[in-house]
Amino acid sequence: MSDVETENIEIIEELNVDELPDKIKEQPQDPVKKKDCKISTTDRRYSLWNFWICGLFLKILLFPDYFSTDFDVHRNWLAITHNLPINEWYFEHTSQWTLDYPPFFAYFEWVLSQFVPSIVKKDGCLDIVEVGQFGWPTVIFQRGTVIVSEILLYAVLQYYINTTSKDRRTQSFIVATSIVVSPGFLIIDHIHFQYNGFLFAIFIASIVTARNKNYLWCATFYSIALCFKHIFLYMAPCYFIFLLRAYVLNFEKFKFRSYKDLLFLVKWSHLFKLGSIVIGTFALCFSPFIFQMPQVLSRLFPFSRGLTHAYWAPNFWALYSFADKILSIVILRVPYIYTVVTRFISSPLIPSSVNEIRERVQEASNNGSKGLVQDVVFTVLPQIPPKVTFFLTVFYQILAVIPVLFDPSFKRFIGSLTLCGLASYLFGWHVHEKAILLVIVPFSFLVILDRRLLVPFMLVSAAGYVSLFPLLYENADFALKCLYTFVWCVVYFFALRKTTKLSSSVERRVFFMDRLAIIYICLLLPMVLGIQFFDVMKWKYPLFEKFEFLGLMTYSVYCSLGIMSSWIGISWLYNFDEPLWES
Amino acid sequence: MSTKKKGSKRDKNHHGSKIVDINEPDNDPFYASPLYDFLAPFRPAGSQWLTHYVIIIFALIIRLAIGLGPYSGMNTPPMFGDFEAQRHWMEITQHLPISEWYWFDLQYWGLDYPPLTAFHSYVLGKIGTFVYPAWFKLNESRGYEGDGIKTFMRLTVVLSDIIFYIPAVVYFTKWVGRHRNQSPVSQYIAAAAILFQPSLMLIDHGHFQYNSVMLGLTVYTINNLLDGFYSMAAVCFVWSICFKQMSLYYAPVFFAYLLSKSLFFPKWFNVSRFIGIAIATVLAFVSAFGPLYLFGGRIPNLQQCIHRIFPFARGIFEDKVANFWCVGNLFIKFKTLYTQEQLQLYSLVLTVAGFMPAFLMSLLYPKKHLLPYALTVCAMSFFLFSFQVHEKTILVPLLPVTLLYTSNDRNVLSFVCWINNVALFTLWPLLKKDHLSLQYSTCFIMCNWLLGNFSFFTPKFLPRFLTPGPPVSDTNKDYRRRSLLPNNILWKIIIICSYIAMFSIHIGDRFIEPPKQYPDLWVILNCVVGFGCFVLFWLWAYYKLFTLRNKTIQAL
Repeated sequence: MSDVETENIEIIEELNVDELPDKIKEQPQDPVKKKDCKISTTDRRYSLWNFWICGLFLKILLFPDYFSTDFDVHRNWLAITHNLPINEWYFEHTSQWTLDYPPFFAYFEWVLSQFVPSIVKKDGCLDIVEVGQFGWPTVIFQRGTVIVSEILLYAVLQYYINTTSKDRRTQSFIVATSIVVSPGFLIIDHIHFQYNGFLFAIFIASIVTARNKNYLWCATFYSIALCFKHIFLYMAPCYFIFLLRAYVLNFEKFKFRSYKDLLFLVKWSHLFKLGSIVIGTFALCFSPFIFQMPQVLSRLFPFSRGLTHAYWAPNFWALYSFADKILSIVILRVPYIYTVVTRFISSPLIPSSVNEIRERVQEASNNGSKGLVQDVVFTVLPQIPPKVTFFLTVFYQILAVIPVLFDPSFKRFIGSLTLCGLASYLFGWHVHEKAILLVIVPFSFLVILDRRLLVPFMLVSAAGYVSLFPLLYENADFALKCLYTFVWCVVYFFALRKTTKLSSSVERRVFFMDRLAIIYICLLLPMVLGIQFFDVMKWKYPLFEKFEFLGLMTYSVYCSLGIMSSWIGISWLYNFDEPLWES
Repeated sequence: MSTKKKGSKRDKNHHGSKIVDINEPDNDPFYASPLYDFLAPFRPAGSQWLTHYVIIIFALIIRLAIGLGPYSGMNTPPMFGDFEAQRHWMEITQHLPISEWYWFDLQYWGLDYPPLTAFHSYVLGKIGTFVYPAWFKLNESRGYEGDGIKTFMRLTVVLSDIIFYIPAVVYFTKWVGRHRNQSPVSQYIAAAAILFQPSLMLIDHGHFQYNSVMLGLTVYTINNLLDGFYSMAAVCFVWSICFKQMSLYYAPVFFAYLLSKSLFFPKWFNVSRFIGIAIATVLAFVSAFGPLYLFGGRIPNLQQCIHRIFPFARGIFEDKVANFWCVGNLFIKFKTLYTQEQLQLYSLVLTVAGFMPAFLMSLLYPKKHLLPYALTVCAMSFFLFSFQVHEKTILVPLLPVTLLYTSNDRNVLSFVCWINNVALFTLWPLLKKDHLSLQYSTCFIMCNWLLGNFSFFTPKFLPRFLTPGPPVSDTNKDYRRRSLLPNNILWKIIIICSYIAMFSIHIGDRFIEPPKQYPDLWVILNCVVGFGCFVLFWLWAYYKLFTLRNKTIQAL
């Protein structure tokens, strides 16, 4: 068909359309337009520019909002790095907010401190004091640095969009925008105050370069990210195995005749390059502190903290603690259960008598309000030493990286990243609820590959973002955080549903579970509203203050249910569903 | 976010055909604006249901974010500001019988709005007392401040918005879109543009007032007129007046329209309609003022209420405001030359003369598409010439203007956008006093940017994804960006000059101390510029009103 004819058909169709304006909605799929659409896809510019500007306005309006102690933490770090010589950075302890991020972040703070204007300096931004005394100029400056540093996130994701093949660009655009406007970054960075947008930009850069098969850059970015914030250490197994298998080892022409052949398995030049990059980055980072390494490491890994945080992060241990609370109540009410149970389980796993349980409960309630104690003591269930959490985390991480060992594709890699993040989140020691970003961000890159991954993604992102709500406990933020998260979920769940495809023709999903997941997500809303209602009622009825912990417990238990089931779902797909991972 | 886009992106001229495809993006007045870019992905039929929720929720989010800032009179005892006034009314309506509402301690924020405001305060006060009684304890709660009450009060404004303003606006845009075969995207964009009107957001959610209730009821009136429910329209309008008397600014036009519809058009002396409207009006007034009479002090209470609502004893203008009296006062000292009574008479004469043509037009041409224009000129006449005008009152003429964002004509849109900016600019002294300058500047830039007012600049040397200014997902290569400026070169110059003046006044206000003898120099300049623009716009709206009188809704 010649061009002219095509045009004629278009015109005729337009005539029809013009005559029947109401029918337009019903025929969005007419063939010519579809073809047209294809042409325009190549031409379309997927720009994050609008999102940045729009986000900027909202973030500026959020300046006067509540900020957490993290604000003073970062202000203190600005002061430390600006005022002290480099060898005192990790020893300074005037304020309780000592420097406990790796040196790259300290350098970053030092760079920021060079830009502090004099009016902000006068405001007390750069004073090393026990508790920061600062005003509006410091707030503007620090909030501004978050916004400016976050530009890197936009740049990296724009690069990600631009390097995606054209037929997948719409999907990648959805992923990129879902990350830049994510309620996680808005709540944690722009209200609560942290620099996650900037840090995750580096981490995402390593993911994007891995997809583009620039393994050296991948290693570089990952090690830089690690030197900025050591929480990325949880991802180390994936990166290690993935880079080893995809870049260093060469199985293609490998044939085992003797042990000498193993030497040819390794691409030595690649290994050398990779090793020098990683070691070089770490050297750059830690070399000024080479003689203070024990001090630096003790700051980075403070093992003196308890298993769970004051507010239980919604992970496995939240369920564990909850089960413990329930069991202790039940056993104290109905001691008969105890006698039944002791027939099967003996003393070290369970307290030796009901009286001991009672004593433990007494002790816990004497230690001030429940849950705010540093060391969590379980009353009925066995205590959890750090070793157990470490073992569980490593075990599930190994399970997640084994497939990468056999198939070092990007899909597998990103799947294992998600699972590693989930494993560390669910079973780690002293996990913070903010760490959920470490799961949601890699998962966003994974979910566009198949629609069956959408349900676990919806579960983990809805439950994960909702579990961030207690961070902003002020009532002023309540409606804002709820509405923002709600609209994010609706828009992106809808967009992902529209653009992802099922990779296999066989419907293997269990529909019942899908419906259940949707019901679970919808029920998050009444939960949040109900808890807020009781929270407000405590002004009038001081009785409710006693149950303040109950609201937080509901949050963490309910959200952990969602995150756990998401983990089970994605583990199933990861380990047992072969068509999904075929490239 | 972007899903399948059904972009037909052919250049019409290229084809040489004159077919108007309503889905042709170029036909969309807001084409290539960031709002369009955000909402275009929702164009497929399956996604359209989402759009309204997205727009409304983002409108609410911005309102809530503005609400995080300070309110009028924050931490300024002993009188505080409008926030305390509203809180105080909730307090007195809670604890006093109706007969005392309009009498209680008039020196400290005595109730001076009509009864529906009082009832509204009563309901909200009940909710507040249920949450935390100390907020509204009689006398003890005076000047009560804190995060709890701030959040509560802010949420009540948002709630009033959700109930009264937002659905009315959404319905209006849908109605207009449906009757003019606008594409759904244009309807949504119009709705978003109206909901994101910065002046109303800043006054209601920043400064703190409940104007959205009055304005929302007015939009309901318009909606009812559009649908031909005349009695219902009368009820809504009376309630609007009974919420805030400022909505009387619209009264001549609504009165003329309803009169004309029941006496002259479409048939002579439609008695049943006339009686219906009359009864509805009376009933609506009774519903508002009846309780005052029944449960309160009978006639004296009503008299007191009326006396409180219309304080003619106050001067012709109080604060600096961009109207005829305040600006004219620079040249002719009205207050010394004439007595209060004379001024009242003159202002009455001028106002009536100002709105009379609109009144007659509505009487002779009761057409739906003329309503926004007639309401605009009528309310603007009141704003410019009547007695005791506050700067916040600009919201009243601004509402029908803003409703014109549903127009398809880029010239009209340019004027609407311009006058919105001018109006926001005249609110600057007030917002500055409230320490809302951050919110003011952010909203100012944001709303203009969303409408594509900064789209005039496209550098070619940057990569496509990095072009400053709003990129559009599927523009033609040769598409020329435009900002919202009318085609007429004279108007173009006027508008650009006014923008330059506004900008320089802001710069001056920020950096230059005014001379000793004119401490209010920047405020006065602000009023002068505002007044000039308002008068020009008023004339333009009259011109449009006359030229459109024989057209149909298509030419809105």
